[in-house]
Amino acid sequence: MNPADVAQSVLPLTSSDLSLFALFWQAHWIVKTVMIGLLLCSVWVWAIALDKTVLFARTRRSMDRFEQAFWSGQSLEELYRTLSAKPSHSMAALFVAAMREWKRSFESQSRSFAGLQMRIEKVMDVTIAREVERLERRLLVLATVGSAGPFVGLFGTVWGIMTSFQSIAASKNTSLAVVAPGIAEALFATAIGLVAAIPATIFYNKFASEVNKQAQRLEGFADEFAAILSRQIDERG
Amino acid sequence: MKTASTISVILHAAVLAWGLVSFTGKSFEVTPAESMPVDIISSEQFSQLTKGVKEAPKTATPKPLVEKKAEPKPAEEVTPKISEKKEIAASASSPPVPQAKPAESKAEQQPDQIAEALKKEEKKPLPPQRPARQDPKFDANKIAALLDKRAPQRSAATGETLNSAPSLGAASGNAARLSQTELDALRARLMALWNPPVGLKNPEEYIIRIRMLLKPDGRLQAPPMVLSSGKGSQFDSARDSAIRAIFRGQPFDMLKKETYETWKDVEITFDPRDMFRG
Repeated sequence: MNPADVAQSVLPLTSSDLSLFALFWQAHWIVKTVMIGLLLCSVWVWAIALDKTVLFARTRRSMDRFEQAFWSGQSLEELYRTLSAKPSHSMAALFVAAMREWKRSFESQSRSFAGLQMRIEKVMDVTIAREVERLERRLLVLATVGSAGPFVGLFGTVWGIMTSFQSIAASKNTSLAVVAPGIAEALFATAIGLVAAIPATIFYNKFASEVNKQAQRLEGFADEFAAILSRQIDERG
Repeated sequence: MKTASTISVILHAAVLAWGLVSFTGKSFEVTPAESMPVDIISSEQFSQLTKGVKEAPKTATPKPLVEKKAEPKPAEEVTPKISEKKEIAASASSPPVPQAKPAESKAEQQPDQIAEALKKEEKKPLPPQRPARQDPKFDANKIAALLDKRAPQRSAATGETLNSAPSLGAASGNAARLSQTELDALRARLMALWNPPVGLKNPEEYIIRIRMLLKPDGRLQAPPMVLSSGKGSQFDSARDSAIRAIFRGQPFDMLKKETYETWKDVEITFDPRDMFRG
Protein backbone atom coordinates (compact mmCIF):
# COMPACT_ATOMS: atom_id res chain seq x y z
CA MET A 1 0.00 0.00 0.00
CA ASN A 2 1.25 3.39 -0.88
CA PRO A 3 2.20 5.41 2.20
CA ALA A 4 0.54 8.46 0.77
CA ASP A 5 -2.70 6.55 0.52
CA VAL A 6 -2.37 5.44 4.10
CA ALA A 7 -1.83 9.00 5.14
CA GLN A 8 -4.86 10.15 3.25
CA SER A 9 -7.10 7.48 4.60
CA VAL A 10 -5.99 7.24 8.20
CA LEU A 11 -4.92 10.71 9.15
CA PRO A 12 -7.60 13.31 9.07
CA LEU A 13 -5.15 16.14 9.48
CA THR A 14 -2.71 15.26 6.81
CA SER A 15 -3.26 16.28 3.30
CA SER A 16 -1.24 17.53 0.46
CA ASP A 17 -2.90 20.93 0.72
CA LEU A 18 -0.37 23.12 2.47
CA SER A 19 -1.74 26.57 1.89
CA LEU A 20 -1.82 29.05 4.74
CA PHE A 21 -5.50 28.62 5.32
CA ALA A 22 -5.33 24.85 5.14
CA LEU A 23 -2.50 24.82 7.66
CA PHE A 24 -4.69 26.75 10.03
CA TRP A 25 -7.88 24.88 9.34
CA GLN A 26 -6.47 21.40 9.84
CA ALA A 27 -4.95 22.23 13.20
CA HIS A 28 -6.18 21.06 16.56
CA TRP A 29 -8.43 23.58 18.27
CA ILE A 30 -5.83 24.38 20.89
CA VAL A 31 -3.33 25.16 18.19
CA LYS A 32 -5.99 27.21 16.44
CA THR A 33 -6.57 29.20 19.61
CA VAL A 34 -2.87 29.79 19.96
CA MET A 35 -2.63 30.94 16.38
CA ILE A 36 -5.56 33.32 16.65
CA GLY A 37 -4.25 34.69 19.93
CA LEU A 38 -0.85 35.30 18.45
CA LEU A 39 -2.37 36.93 15.41
CA LEU A 40 -4.36 39.29 17.64
CA CYS A 41 -1.19 40.00 19.60
CA SER A 42 0.58 40.87 16.41
CA VAL A 43 -2.22 43.20 15.38
CA TRP A 44 -2.16 44.86 18.77
CA VAL A 45 1.63 45.17 18.76
CA TRP A 46 1.64 46.89 15.42
CA ALA A 47 -1.20 49.18 16.46
CA ILE A 48 0.74 50.21 19.55
CA ALA A 49 3.90 50.63 17.55
CA LEU A 50 2.25 52.90 15.01
CA ASP A 51 0.56 54.87 17.73
CA LYS A 52 3.74 55.31 19.73
CA THR A 53 5.80 56.24 16.74
CA VAL A 54 3.42 59.03 15.91
CA LEU A 55 3.18 60.10 19.57
CA PHE A 56 6.91 60.25 20.12
CA ALA A 57 7.53 62.10 16.92
CA ARG A 58 4.90 64.64 17.79
CA THR A 59 6.17 65.03 21.35
CA ARG A 60 9.72 65.56 20.20
CA ARG A 61 8.67 68.16 17.69
CA SER A 62 6.52 70.06 20.15
CA MET A 63 9.29 69.98 22.74
CA ASP A 64 11.67 71.50 20.21
CA ARG A 65 9.16 74.18 19.38
CA PHE A 66 8.46 74.93 23.01
CA GLU A 67 12.10 75.15 23.97
CA GLN A 68 12.67 77.50 21.10
CA ALA A 69 9.79 79.69 22.28
CA PHE A 70 10.91 79.46 25.91
CA TRP A 71 14.48 80.54 25.26
CA SER A 72 13.56 83.15 22.70
CA GLY A 73 13.25 85.81 25.39
CA GLN A 74 9.50 85.90 25.28
CA SER A 75 7.80 86.91 28.49
CA LEU A 76 6.91 83.86 30.56
CA GLU A 77 3.60 85.44 31.51
CA GLU A 78 2.70 85.74 27.89
CA LEU A 79 3.79 82.21 27.15
CA TYR A 80 1.74 81.02 30.06
CA ARG A 81 -1.29 82.84 28.80
CA THR A 82 -1.08 81.24 25.34
CA LEU A 83 -0.45 77.76 26.65
CA SER A 84 -2.55 77.57 29.79
CA ALA A 85 -5.79 77.07 27.93
CA LYS A 86 -4.68 73.77 26.48
CA PRO A 87 -1.25 72.44 27.29
CA SER A 88 -0.90 70.09 24.34
CA HIS A 89 2.37 68.36 25.08
CA SER A 90 4.50 67.24 27.94
CA MET A 91 6.93 70.12 28.28
CA ALA A 92 4.19 72.70 27.98
CA ALA A 93 2.21 70.86 30.60
CA LEU A 94 5.23 70.95 32.86
CA PHE A 95 5.66 74.66 32.32
CA VAL A 96 1.99 75.40 32.83
CA ALA A 97 1.84 73.40 36.05
CA ALA A 98 4.85 75.20 37.48
CA MET A 99 3.60 78.60 36.40
CA ARG A 100 0.16 77.96 37.84
CA GLU A 101 1.63 77.14 41.20
CA TRP A 102 3.84 80.22 41.01
CA LYS A 103 0.96 82.45 40.08
CA ARG A 104 -1.29 81.03 42.75
CA SER A 105 1.29 81.72 45.39
CA PHE A 106 1.80 85.24 44.19
CA GLU A 107 -1.77 86.18 43.58
CA SER A 108 -3.06 84.89 46.88
CA GLN A 109 -3.20 87.42 49.71
CA SER A 110 -0.89 85.56 52.03
CA ARG A 111 2.04 85.66 49.57
CA SER A 112 3.42 82.47 50.93
CA PHE A 113 7.00 82.30 49.72
CA ALA A 114 8.20 80.03 52.40
CA GLY A 115 7.54 76.66 50.70
CA LEU A 116 7.11 77.92 47.18
CA GLN A 117 10.31 76.45 45.83
CA MET A 118 9.48 73.06 47.20
CA ARG A 119 5.93 73.21 46.01
CA ILE A 120 6.96 74.08 42.49
CA GLU A 121 9.42 71.22 42.35
CA LYS A 122 6.81 68.82 43.65
CA VAL A 123 4.30 69.93 41.08
CA MET A 124 6.83 69.54 38.33
CA ASP A 125 7.83 66.07 39.56
CA VAL A 126 4.24 64.97 39.51
CA THR A 127 3.77 66.37 36.03
CA ILE A 128 6.89 64.63 34.77
CA ALA A 129 5.72 61.37 36.26
CA ARG A 130 2.35 61.78 34.63
CA GLU A 131 3.87 62.61 31.25
CA VAL A 132 6.27 59.71 31.36
CA GLU A 133 3.44 57.44 32.32
CA ARG A 134 1.53 58.68 29.29
CA LEU A 135 4.51 58.06 27.06
CA GLU A 136 5.16 54.55 28.20
CA ARG A 137 1.60 53.42 28.45
CA ARG A 138 1.05 50.08 26.64
CA LEU A 139 4.77 49.56 26.26
CA LEU A 140 4.40 46.68 28.69
CA VAL A 141 2.23 44.94 26.14
CA LEU A 142 5.12 45.01 23.72
CA ALA A 143 7.46 43.61 26.32
CA THR A 144 5.06 40.86 27.21
CA VAL A 145 4.39 39.83 23.64
CA GLY A 146 8.08 39.99 22.86
CA SER A 147 9.01 37.66 25.65
CA ALA A 148 6.01 35.37 25.77
CA GLY A 149 5.15 35.17 22.08
CA PRO A 150 7.75 32.56 21.15
CA PHE A 151 6.76 30.44 24.11
CA VAL A 152 3.12 30.56 23.19
CA GLY A 153 3.99 29.67 19.63
CA LEU A 154 6.20 26.89 20.83
CA PHE A 155 3.36 25.58 22.92
CA GLY A 156 1.21 25.45 19.84
CA THR A 157 3.97 23.65 17.99
CA VAL A 158 4.50 21.12 20.70
CA TRP A 159 0.83 20.44 20.89
CA GLY A 160 0.57 20.09 17.14
CA ILE A 161 3.51 17.73 16.95
CA MET A 162 2.06 15.76 19.83
CA THR A 163 -1.21 15.24 18.01
CA SER A 164 0.56 14.48 14.77
CA PHE A 165 2.65 11.87 16.47
CA GLN A 166 -0.48 10.36 17.91
CA SER A 167 -1.85 10.16 14.41
CA ILE A 168 1.35 8.52 13.24
CA ALA A 169 1.08 5.99 16.01
CA ALA A 170 -2.49 5.33 15.03
CA SER A 171 -1.64 4.88 11.37
CA LYS A 172 1.45 2.76 12.14
CA ASN A 173 3.26 4.45 9.33
CA THR A 174 6.28 6.64 9.66
CA SER A 175 6.92 7.73 6.14
CA LEU A 176 7.72 11.37 5.69
CA ALA A 177 4.51 11.92 3.77
CA VAL A 178 2.61 11.10 6.93
CA VAL A 179 4.76 13.12 9.29
CA ALA A 180 5.37 16.20 7.22
CA PRO A 181 1.93 17.86 7.10
CA GLY A 182 1.41 17.62 10.84
CA ILE A 183 4.83 19.06 11.56
CA ALA A 184 4.42 21.82 9.01
CA GLU A 185 1.16 22.79 10.56
CA ALA A 186 2.64 22.69 14.04
CA LEU A 187 5.60 24.79 13.03
CA PHE A 188 3.20 27.34 11.63
CA ALA A 189 2.26 28.19 15.22
CA THR A 190 5.89 28.94 16.07
CA ALA A 191 6.17 31.01 12.94
CA ILE A 192 3.25 33.17 13.98
CA GLY A 193 4.67 33.46 17.47
CA LEU A 194 7.97 34.71 16.09
CA VAL A 195 6.21 37.04 13.67
CA ALA A 196 4.44 38.60 16.62
CA ALA A 197 7.39 38.56 19.01
CA ILE A 198 10.21 39.89 16.88
CA PRO A 199 8.64 43.26 16.04
CA ALA A 200 7.35 43.52 19.58
CA THR A 201 10.84 43.13 21.02
CA ILE A 202 12.38 45.54 18.57
CA PHE A 203 9.71 48.17 19.13
CA TYR A 204 9.87 47.77 22.86
CA ASN A 205 13.60 48.42 22.96
CA LYS A 206 13.27 51.37 20.65
CA PHE A 207 10.41 52.95 22.58
CA ALA A 208 11.92 52.28 25.99
CA SER A 209 15.03 54.19 25.03
CA GLU A 210 12.88 56.92 23.51
CA VAL A 211 10.87 57.28 26.73
CA ASN A 212 14.08 57.46 28.69
CA LYS A 213 15.43 60.20 26.48
CA GLN A 214 12.28 62.29 26.66
CA ALA A 215 12.00 61.87 30.41
CA GLN A 216 15.56 63.09 30.83
CA ARG A 217 14.83 66.02 28.63
CA LEU A 218 11.77 66.88 30.74
CA GLU A 219 13.77 66.61 33.92
CA GLY A 220 16.46 68.80 32.53
CA PHE A 221 13.96 71.42 31.61
CA ALA A 222 12.29 71.13 34.99
CA ASP A 223 15.60 71.74 36.75
CA GLU A 224 16.36 74.73 34.62
CA PHE A 225 12.94 76.19 35.10
CA ALA A 226 13.09 75.57 38.83
CA ALA A 227 16.38 77.45 38.95
CA ILE A 228 14.86 80.39 37.11
CA LEU A 229 11.86 80.49 39.40
CA SER A 230 14.05 80.14 42.46
CA ARG A 231 16.04 83.17 41.35
CA GLN A 232 12.82 85.09 40.88
CA ILE A 233 11.63 84.12 44.33
CA ASP A 234 14.84 85.24 45.93
CA GLU A 235 14.75 88.53 44.05
CA ARG A 236 11.15 89.28 45.01
CA GLY A 237 11.26 87.92 48.49
CA MET B 1 -4.90 54.83 18.99
CA LYS B 2 -7.98 54.02 16.96
CA THR B 3 -6.40 54.94 13.67
CA ALA B 4 -3.28 53.03 14.56
CA SER B 5 -5.36 49.94 15.33
CA THR B 6 -7.21 50.22 12.07
CA ILE B 7 -4.01 50.59 10.15
CA SER B 8 -2.54 47.60 11.94
CA VAL B 9 -5.58 45.45 11.22
CA ILE B 10 -5.51 46.44 7.59
CA LEU B 11 -1.80 45.67 7.38
CA HIS B 12 -2.25 42.22 8.86
CA ALA B 13 -5.19 41.48 6.64
CA ALA B 14 -3.10 42.46 3.65
CA VAL B 15 -0.20 40.25 4.73
CA LEU B 16 -2.54 37.33 5.36
CA ALA B 17 -4.21 37.77 2.00
CA TRP B 18 -0.83 37.85 0.31
CA GLY B 19 0.16 34.75 2.26
CA LEU B 20 -2.99 32.94 1.17
CA VAL B 21 -2.11 33.59 -2.42
CA SER B 22 1.61 33.00 -2.36
CA PHE B 23 2.23 30.64 0.53
CA THR B 24 1.68 27.25 -0.94
CA GLY B 25 3.77 24.20 -0.41
CA LYS B 26 5.33 23.47 -3.72
CA SER B 27 6.08 19.85 -4.12
CA PHE B 28 9.67 19.10 -4.78
CA GLU B 29 10.55 18.13 -8.29
CA VAL B 30 11.76 14.62 -7.81
CA THR B 31 13.67 13.30 -10.75
CA PRO B 32 13.42 9.58 -10.69
CA ALA B 33 16.82 8.33 -9.77
CA GLU B 34 18.10 5.18 -11.29
CA SER B 35 17.45 2.56 -8.74
CA MET B 36 20.27 0.38 -7.62
CA PRO B 37 19.04 -2.93 -6.32
CA VAL B 38 20.84 -3.94 -3.18
CA ASP B 39 20.44 -7.22 -1.45
CA ILE B 40 21.45 -7.49 2.15
CA ILE B 41 22.70 -10.91 2.94
CA SER B 42 24.16 -12.29 6.07
CA SER B 43 27.66 -13.63 6.18
CA GLU B 44 26.17 -17.07 6.46
CA GLN B 45 24.31 -16.59 3.23
CA PHE B 46 27.46 -15.27 1.65
CA SER B 47 29.35 -18.37 2.59
CA GLN B 48 26.49 -20.40 1.21
CA LEU B 49 26.90 -18.55 -2.03
CA THR B 50 30.59 -19.18 -2.28
CA LYS B 51 30.30 -22.73 -1.15
CA GLY B 52 31.23 -25.09 -3.85
CA VAL B 53 29.27 -28.20 -4.68
CA LYS B 54 31.11 -31.39 -5.30
CA GLU B 55 28.55 -32.64 -7.76
CA ALA B 56 28.34 -29.38 -9.63
CA PRO B 57 28.44 -29.99 -13.35
CA LYS B 58 31.62 -29.06 -15.02
CA THR B 59 30.86 -26.19 -17.21
CA ALA B 60 32.82 -25.61 -20.29
CA THR B 61 34.89 -22.53 -20.64
CA PRO B 62 32.94 -19.65 -22.05
CA LYS B 63 32.41 -19.83 -25.74
CA PRO B 64 34.44 -17.38 -27.64
CA LEU B 65 32.58 -14.73 -29.49
CA VAL B 66 33.35 -14.88 -33.13
CA GLU B 67 33.29 -11.82 -35.24
CA LYS B 68 33.78 -13.33 -38.59
CA LYS B 69 32.55 -16.64 -39.72
CA ALA B 70 34.18 -18.80 -42.27
CA GLU B 71 32.62 -18.57 -45.66
CA PRO B 72 30.16 -21.41 -46.08
CA LYS B 73 31.52 -23.96 -48.42
CA PRO B 74 29.60 -24.20 -51.66
CA ALA B 75 27.23 -27.07 -51.44
CA GLU B 76 28.23 -30.12 -53.42
CA GLU B 77 26.18 -30.57 -56.46
CA VAL B 78 23.71 -33.27 -55.76
CA THR B 79 22.75 -33.94 -59.25
CA PRO B 80 25.34 -35.96 -61.01
CA LYS B 81 26.70 -34.55 -64.13
CA ILE B 82 25.26 -36.05 -67.11
CA SER B 83 27.98 -37.58 -69.11
CA GLU B 84 27.96 -37.79 -72.82
CA LYS B 85 28.37 -41.49 -72.66
CA LYS B 86 25.32 -42.07 -70.70
CA GLU B 87 23.34 -39.84 -72.91
CA ILE B 88 24.41 -41.76 -75.86
CA ALA B 89 23.60 -44.97 -74.14
CA ALA B 90 20.21 -43.66 -73.19
CA SER B 91 19.46 -42.28 -76.58
CA ALA B 92 20.85 -45.16 -78.54
CA SER B 93 18.36 -47.45 -76.89
CA SER B 94 20.53 -50.41 -77.68
CA PRO B 95 22.08 -52.38 -74.82
CA PRO B 96 25.87 -52.40 -74.91
CA VAL B 97 27.60 -55.59 -75.60
CA PRO B 98 29.09 -56.40 -72.17
CA GLN B 99 25.79 -55.72 -70.54
CA ALA B 100 24.00 -57.86 -72.93
CA LYS B 101 25.99 -60.91 -72.12
CA PRO B 102 24.87 -61.42 -68.57
CA ALA B 103 21.48 -60.32 -69.59
CA GLU B 104 21.41 -62.99 -72.15
CA SER B 105 22.64 -65.59 -69.72
CA LYS B 106 20.05 -64.45 -67.25
CA ALA B 107 17.52 -64.17 -69.89
CA GLU B 108 17.64 -67.87 -70.26
CA GLN B 109 16.26 -68.14 -66.81
CA GLN B 110 14.05 -65.10 -66.71
CA PRO B 111 14.01 -63.65 -70.10
CA ASP B 112 10.81 -61.73 -69.86
CA GLN B 113 11.47 -59.77 -66.71
CA ILE B 114 14.74 -58.29 -67.70
CA ALA B 115 13.66 -57.56 -71.14
CA GLU B 116 10.67 -55.76 -69.88
CA ALA B 117 12.67 -53.83 -67.36
CA LEU B 118 15.07 -52.80 -70.01
CA LYS B 119 12.29 -51.77 -72.23
CA LYS B 120 10.74 -49.70 -69.51
CA GLU B 121 13.92 -47.90 -68.92
CA GLU B 122 14.31 -47.17 -72.52
CA LYS B 123 10.90 -45.68 -72.72
CA LYS B 124 11.52 -43.28 -69.86
CA PRO B 125 12.63 -40.04 -71.34
CA LEU B 126 15.52 -38.55 -69.56
CA PRO B 127 14.64 -35.14 -68.14
CA PRO B 128 17.03 -32.45 -69.15
CA GLN B 129 18.67 -32.17 -65.76
CA ARG B 130 20.67 -29.06 -66.31
CA PRO B 131 20.71 -26.85 -63.22
CA ALA B 132 20.59 -23.14 -63.94
CA ARG B 133 24.08 -21.95 -63.36
CA GLN B 134 24.27 -19.15 -60.80
CA ASP B 135 26.24 -16.27 -62.04
CA PRO B 136 28.37 -14.78 -59.26
CA LYS B 137 26.46 -11.62 -58.59
CA PHE B 138 28.14 -8.54 -57.25
CA ASP B 139 26.93 -7.77 -53.73
CA ALA B 140 28.05 -4.49 -52.29
CA ASN B 141 27.21 -5.61 -48.75
CA LYS B 142 29.78 -8.34 -48.81
CA ILE B 143 32.68 -6.11 -49.67
CA ALA B 144 33.54 -5.50 -46.03
CA ALA B 145 33.46 -9.20 -45.32
CA LEU B 146 35.58 -9.92 -48.31
CA LEU B 147 38.12 -7.34 -47.31
CA ASP B 148 38.36 -8.70 -43.76
CA LYS B 149 41.53 -10.70 -43.85
CA ARG B 150 41.42 -11.74 -40.21
CA ALA B 151 41.15 -15.32 -39.30
CA PRO B 152 37.52 -16.34 -39.19
CA GLN B 153 37.74 -17.93 -35.78
CA ARG B 154 39.26 -14.90 -34.09
CA SER B 155 37.65 -14.58 -30.68
CA ALA B 156 36.36 -11.29 -29.41
CA ALA B 157 35.20 -10.24 -26.01
CA THR B 158 33.56 -13.05 -24.24
CA GLY B 159 31.82 -11.15 -21.50
CA GLU B 160 28.38 -11.81 -22.81
CA THR B 161 28.71 -15.48 -22.76
CA LEU B 162 30.52 -15.76 -19.48
CA ASN B 163 29.44 -18.62 -17.39
CA SER B 164 26.96 -17.77 -14.68
CA ALA B 165 26.35 -21.25 -13.39
CA PRO B 166 27.80 -22.15 -10.01
CA SER B 167 31.31 -23.41 -10.17
CA LEU B 168 32.93 -26.11 -8.20
CA GLY B 169 33.87 -23.47 -5.65
CA ALA B 170 36.82 -23.24 -3.37
CA ALA B 171 38.20 -26.36 -1.82
CA SER B 172 36.80 -25.45 1.57
CA GLY B 173 33.68 -23.72 0.62
CA ASN B 174 32.39 -22.18 3.73
CA ALA B 175 34.14 -18.85 3.26
CA ALA B 176 35.98 -19.63 6.38
CA ARG B 177 38.13 -17.37 8.39
CA LEU B 178 40.31 -18.45 11.21
CA SER B 179 38.51 -17.18 14.20
CA GLN B 180 40.41 -15.32 16.81
CA THR B 181 39.51 -17.87 19.41
CA GLU B 182 41.01 -20.72 17.39
CA LEU B 183 44.14 -18.76 16.75
CA ASP B 184 44.37 -17.76 20.38
CA ALA B 185 43.87 -21.32 21.52
CA LEU B 186 46.65 -22.46 19.24
CA ARG B 187 48.93 -19.71 20.46
CA ALA B 188 48.07 -20.42 24.08
CA ARG B 189 48.99 -24.09 23.74
CA LEU B 190 52.28 -23.30 22.06
CA MET B 191 53.10 -20.68 24.62
CA ALA B 192 52.41 -23.08 27.42
CA LEU B 193 54.84 -25.56 25.93
CA TRP B 194 57.53 -23.06 25.07
CA ASN B 195 60.28 -22.48 27.58
CA PRO B 196 62.45 -19.61 26.54
CA PRO B 197 65.63 -19.07 28.49
CA VAL B 198 64.91 -17.19 31.67
CA GLY B 199 66.36 -13.78 32.39
CA LEU B 200 66.90 -12.51 28.90
CA LYS B 201 68.30 -9.03 28.77
CA ASN B 202 66.78 -7.96 25.49
CA PRO B 203 63.70 -10.05 24.98
CA GLU B 204 62.88 -8.28 21.72
CA GLU B 205 65.90 -10.03 20.20
CA TYR B 206 64.41 -13.41 20.89
CA ILE B 207 61.20 -13.09 18.97
CA ILE B 208 60.86 -16.24 16.93
CA ARG B 209 58.49 -16.46 13.99
CA ILE B 210 57.78 -19.95 12.81
CA ARG B 211 55.77 -21.02 9.82
CA MET B 212 53.91 -24.29 10.05
CA LEU B 213 52.30 -26.31 7.31
CA LEU B 214 49.57 -28.43 8.75
CA LYS B 215 47.55 -31.37 7.66
CA PRO B 216 43.78 -31.44 8.01
CA ASP B 217 44.08 -33.61 11.11
CA GLY B 218 46.03 -30.89 12.85
CA ARG B 219 49.42 -32.49 12.53
CA LEU B 220 52.48 -31.06 10.92
CA GLN B 221 52.76 -31.60 7.23
CA ALA B 222 56.41 -30.67 7.18
CA PRO B 223 58.99 -29.59 9.73
CA PRO B 224 58.34 -26.08 10.92
CA MET B 225 60.28 -23.28 9.26
CA VAL B 226 61.95 -20.66 11.37
CA LEU B 227 61.53 -17.30 9.72
CA SER B 228 63.36 -15.05 12.13
CA SER B 229 67.01 -15.15 12.75
CA GLY B 230 69.24 -14.18 15.60
CA LYS B 231 72.56 -15.00 17.06
CA GLY B 232 73.84 -16.43 20.23
CA SER B 233 73.28 -19.62 22.05
CA GLN B 234 70.34 -18.20 23.91
CA PHE B 235 68.54 -17.48 20.67
CA ASP B 236 69.31 -21.00 19.52
CA SER B 237 67.93 -22.51 22.65
CA ALA B 238 64.82 -20.36 22.45
CA ARG B 239 64.33 -21.35 18.82
CA ASP B 240 64.82 -25.02 19.57
CA SER B 241 62.43 -24.79 22.42
CA ALA B 242 59.82 -23.23 20.14
CA ILE B 243 60.27 -26.01 17.60
CA ARG B 244 60.00 -28.59 20.34
CA ALA B 245 56.85 -26.88 21.56
CA ILE B 246 55.32 -27.19 18.13
CA PHE B 247 56.18 -30.84 17.88
CA ARG B 248 54.87 -31.58 21.33
CA GLY B 249 51.76 -29.55 20.83
CA GLN B 250 50.38 -31.49 17.90
CA PRO B 251 47.81 -32.47 17.00
CA PHE B 252 46.31 -29.04 17.15
CA ASP B 253 42.79 -30.20 17.59
CA MET B 254 41.49 -26.79 18.52
CA LEU B 255 41.54 -25.91 14.85
CA LYS B 256 38.33 -26.86 13.20
CA LYS B 257 38.45 -28.99 10.16
CA GLU B 258 36.01 -26.80 8.27
CA THR B 259 38.44 -23.93 8.34
CA TYR B 260 41.40 -25.92 7.17
CA GLU B 261 41.94 -23.60 4.26
CA THR B 262 42.84 -20.82 6.65
CA TRP B 263 45.15 -22.68 8.96
CA LYS B 264 46.95 -25.05 6.73
CA ASP B 265 49.69 -22.48 6.53
CA VAL B 266 50.08 -20.39 9.69
CA GLU B 267 52.74 -18.23 11.16
CA ILE B 268 53.20 -18.20 14.89
CA THR B 269 55.19 -15.59 16.71
CA PHE B 270 56.88 -16.60 19.92
CA ASP B 271 57.50 -13.45 21.86
CA PRO B 272 59.24 -13.76 25.23
CA ARG B 273 57.77 -10.45 26.35
CA ASP B 274 54.31 -11.99 26.20
CA MET B 275 55.56 -14.79 28.40
CA PHE B 276 56.96 -12.68 31.12
CA ARG B 277 54.18 -10.19 31.08
CA GLY B 278 51.95 -13.00 32.06
